[in-house]
Amino acid sequence: MELTICTYCDTVHRRPPVSRGSAARCRTCEASLYHADSDLGAMLAVTITAAIAFVVANAFPLITLTASGRQTAATLWSSIAASYNHELPVVAITLAVTLIVAPLVELLMLLWVLVPLAAGVRPPAFALVMRAMHALRPWRMVPVFLLGLAVAVVKLTGLAATVPGWGMFGVAVMTIAFASLASFDREVLWRRAEELRR
Amino acid sequence: MMRGAELGLVACTTCELVMKAGNAAVGTCPRCGEPLRPRKRNANARAWAFLIAAAALYIPANALPIMETEQFPTYRTDTIMSGVAFLWTEGSWSLAAVVFTASVLVPMLKLGALGLLLVTSRKGSTWRQRGRTQLYRVLEAVGHWSMLDVFVVALLSAVVQLGRFARVEPGLAVIPFAGVVVLTMLASASFDPRTIWDPHD
Ligand SMILES: [Zn+2]
Ligand SMILES: [Zn+2]
Repeated sequence: MELTICTYCDTVHRRPPVSRGSAARCRTCEASLYHADSDLGAMLAVTITAAIAFVVANAFPLITLTASGRQTAATLWSSIAASYNHELPVVAITLAVTLIVAPLVELLMLLWVLVPLAAGVRPPAFALVMRAMHALRPWRMVPVFLLGLAVAVVKLTGLAATVPGWGMFGVAVMTIAFASLASFDREVLWRRAEELRR
Repeated sequence: MMRGAELGLVACTTCELVMKAGNAAVGTCPRCGEPLRPRKRNANARAWAFLIAAAALYIPANALPIMETEQFPTYRTDTIMSGVAFLWTEGSWSLAAVVFTASVLVPMLKLGALGLLLVTSRKGSTWRQRGRTQLYRVLEAVGHWSMLDVFVVALLSAVVQLGRFARVEPGLAVIPFAGVVVLTMLASASFDPRTIWDPHD
């Protein structure tokens, strides 16, 4: 009999499958326990979408400002450089970790795991990579940055002509893609890898 | 409803594999290699330490200026609260509400709620166990949203560099402010919500 234990209240549950798009909830504390079995192909497609969005978010301006004939643009990297140049390396590191390193490493690790699993091969260092992904997840703050971009654009409209750039579009797509990735159940990955070990 | 502690079962906090609690003595999860413990180690002591450090940093985060704005011919320097008040008096109410929620309400709620969870869990209280567990999940979910102002200030100071016409400089408060966010995240990650349901011993 398959069991699952709620990590919030330690209640033991049986683990019947749930239908696609829904989640099993704990009867004691209502925490989400698990989702429908993930489709590896769909998960891979979302990961690749997120990776493309990551490149767009890094390569293009987030906001462009025009005032009295002068134009300035903020990219992810120029924001980090600006914090660094204002002698705030702590802020530069915070931005780099939460907006570049954490999402990039997570996406690379997802690809590292998903591509071999989809091809029927156990990924090298599978358990280590899965643990690292779990540890890294809280430090990725892409959706907060998207709200920050929206706030910045609204604040700037009174000051100068403000245009959201393609980079902001990339951040928005990344936000959606990461939210979608969170709804894929990781248990399937563990089981697939266990099967391939034999 | 049976609990893992009663059935002699334990779940890995990383990969959620369920196994006999006897394995916990062995030390690591057989599936992912994560150290196995029935409950997080020194959970309340660590959570208290991070919480107190966060509360201490909360003072300079609010007292120091977070942003300096030069918009010829005016110059102003703002703390978090004065920035919110300025947005409000300017008539940007929705923006003031968003910034107030993320920068003032969420950090205060986090400090208060974590304190409440720590005090009640140590006493083995059966008071509103479900509500307290849900409060913990809310804390986990909103934790990083207070980084909003740090991001906004970094963006504005990067883009508003129009020479004499307009300039935005980040203030020193961004450092303790980011520190508060990180420390409260560490505090809530250290706390073990399962202790809310454990009987007092
Ligand atoms: Zn539960
Ligand atoms: Zn494990």
